[in-house]
Amino acid sequence: MSRYLLNRLLFMVVTLVAVVTVVFFLLRLTPGGPFDGERALPPEIEQNLKAKYNLDAPLHVQYFDYVLDLLRGDLGPSFRQKDFSVNELILNGLPISLTIGALALSFALCTGSLLGVIAAQHQNSAWDNGIRLFSTACLALPPLVSGPLLVLLVAVTLKWLPAGGISTYKHYVLPALALSIPYIAAFARLSRSSYLDVVKEPFVLTAKAKGLSSLQISTRHVLRSASTPVLSFIGPAAAALLAGSMIVEEIFSVPGLGRFFVQGAIARDYTLVLGAVLVYAFLILLFNLIIDLIYPLLDPRVKDRLANAA
Amino acid sequence: MRLTRLVAMCNLVLFSCSLLAQQDRIVDIGNAGEPGTLDPHLYFTNLEEHILKDLFMGLTTMDPQGAIIPGCAENWHVSSDQLTWTFQLRKDLTWSDGEPLTAKDFVFGFQRLLNPETAAPLSFFLYSLKNAKEVNAGTLPIDQLGVTATDNHTLVVELTQPFPFLPERLLYPVAYPVPRHALELYGKDWIKPQNWVSNGAFVLNEWRPHEFVELARNSKFYEAKNVRVKTVRYYPIVEAVTGYNRYLADELDVISNYPSGVHETLLADRAQEVRNAPLQSIMYLVFNTQVEPFDDVRVRKALALAIDRELIVERILGLGEIASTTLSPPVVDHHVPVVYDHERNLDAARLLLAEAGVADSPLNIELRHISDDETKDVYVAISSMWREIGVDTSLHHSTLADHFGNLNQGNFEVAQAGWFGENNPEHYIELLWSKIGAANYGNYESVAFDNLLEAAKQEGDVETRVKILNQAETIALREYPVIPLYVVITRNLVNPELQGWFRNGRNLHPARYFYWN
Repeated sequence: MSRYLLNRLLFMVVTLVAVVTVVFFLLRLTPGGPFDGERALPPEIEQNLKAKYNLDAPLHVQYFDYVLDLLRGDLGPSFRQKDFSVNELILNGLPISLTIGALALSFALCTGSLLGVIAAQHQNSAWDNGIRLFSTACLALPPLVSGPLLVLLVAVTLKWLPAGGISTYKHYVLPALALSIPYIAAFARLSRSSYLDVVKEPFVLTAKAKGLSSLQISTRHVLRSASTPVLSFIGPAAAALLAGSMIVEEIFSVPGLGRFFVQGAIARDYTLVLGAVLVYAFLILLFNLIIDLIYPLLDPRVKDRLANAA
Repeated sequence: MRLTRLVAMCNLVLFSCSLLAQQDRIVDIGNAGEPGTLDPHLYFTNLEEHILKDLFMGLTTMDPQGAIIPGCAENWHVSSDQLTWTFQLRKDLTWSDGEPLTAKDFVFGFQRLLNPETAAPLSFFLYSLKNAKEVNAGTLPIDQLGVTATDNHTLVVELTQPFPFLPERLLYPVAYPVPRHALELYGKDWIKPQNWVSNGAFVLNEWRPHEFVELARNSKFYEAKNVRVKTVRYYPIVEAVTGYNRYLADELDVISNYPSGVHETLLADRAQEVRNAPLQSIMYLVFNTQVEPFDDVRVRKALALAIDRELIVERILGLGEIASTTLSPPVVDHHVPVVYDHERNLDAARLLLAEAGVADSPLNIELRHISDDETKDVYVAISSMWREIGVDTSLHHSTLADHFGNLNQGNFEVAQAGWFGENNPEHYIELLWSKIGAANYGNYESVAFDNLLEAAKQEGDVETRVKILNQAETIALREYPVIPLYVVITRNLVNPELQGWFRNGRNLHPARYFYWN
């Protein structure tokens, strides 16, 4: 197990180095630069700016300087938000994005799984059909659509919750809800089909033969096995929620990492974009690693396979 | 009698208390994006200017209507050769930490701005100062800059050539002083709220990136007793719809870019809150005069004569934009109309195309514009106007950064361009000067125009200078390097309870004049 973990950590480091390298050079290839405006700057000013931000050095030197700073934990100064370092910006934005993401994921997981199990237990009933219809509707509501609709209905018309910003706990409700809606559907569908698959397994029949009640069979045997595919979806879902948070953060003026990333990319803020991509990549790798480590605890078959491989 | 008087006094006290409490209410303002810095010398866009004008005070400042008034300087006079400006500073100036503010702070400020190590992106705004460009390029030492303090309250500014619009130029944040003592104490962290020192009506209280910038009243400001609101917050609102929704949800008191699609609804429901005004600005089309067939004045003139400006401003934009036939916006002071052929005349346009030899093989034009839902119809309309004279147009749109990247590199045929800022014609006419650099996007070159512009720049008398500028603009417009289109209108919504907010052509609204009704 420890060797497996070591391999995975090594893979993470290699992936992160590859991400930094590709993004670093891709950013320099994009047209425009961080100091471009409606009017090109006089050459002497452009030179002063390049000297200040080390942009006058050869590209490979800039790259190695960046990597050296990175090894010291310094993501550099933001080119467009000059009063902050990239570390400061990420420390400001990341907790907000993570909170919204965690709220959205928890809500989607709980609500979606519950709906999926109810639908599976009442397969082909009105409940099942209703939940499936609801799931399809949720899937058709990406945050780009649900966000403005929620703002208009809940914030502007009813004035129950704020339309944007993030000053109080109330500000988290609408962004998290908008972000979670498509995932409610995803978790509902996944848990329904997974539950229905497990019900057909021989060990469930054995449990029935032993005379266990349907509640006991459901909670002790079916749910545990059926949760594996659902939990395995948390990793990609968390990653997709992080990516989706960019749109939600723009709609609700949320000062999270996604907004920094989008605004940074528009303004060609090289260091901010690099820092944000690095954090995203790290989080996605981390989520996947955690899920891979949890698998064996849930499903004895995975544990056996890992043991055999070792 | 006594009882009546007592009741009246109680009422008065209660009324005063409610008024005072009202001024504690935060003014929440939507700004069109996140400021890049609050260091006045490093500022780059008007997103920062909106906030900096509340935090700092330059030698000159503006009244609520946008007129230039004395700021830190009580008065000023110009030498007879128009090259030396002497500013007398107020005697009661202090920084927000109580340290005295003297003429030496202004000298330090100008020197810091033009120090190459500061790398101020807009330092060229003050290139009219003697030796400024050389100091900024590092070819002359900083102490050679033409700014000196003859005593604590007298600042002498020397210019390379006459510049009567200097008081207006000094409104820009690049001309603000910065606290030397704080910079020396805290280094680059002087800009953090806990170390903040400034000389404006407000100080920086808190800055949550991409959430808000909060300003608090500066009790050491020389007119602090007249500053009534205690706290102002600027929220970065990139999407116009987001700002509008937050305004409707009573989360913002002022927004400056409501979506034009809701204009009619607003006029019907909230007419009192709509505070639009013509911006000192010009939107125009620019030809790349270095590429065929736009190097031919007949082609440029033909395309100009096909434009129907009235249709653009009345039927397509419809917010009160003002059609303009000159590059110098008709809304700025000292504007003089230009006599040249600009009336729509399709027959003349077709004839010109035929003369230029492009009538037989239809002309295909690439028209570049910024991706913007508010204005894209203007360019669709222009392409159909050009179709009427047999010209095909392919429209290319891109983000603002990419668009101006292409323009600055001369990578276009015909493109949308715009300019805004100052209340004088020179600011706009000089865009066609061959020596201005990339801002002359189309690389228009005219010896006659350049000579007149340079002659105007030697003239200290405003009336004479403007007269020469008008002659220069006439020469240029008769060669059609640009097609002036219209003056932009601001799209402001203001909470009717907020007083002291006035429409003005700069669309800058100092919070020191605000108060709650």
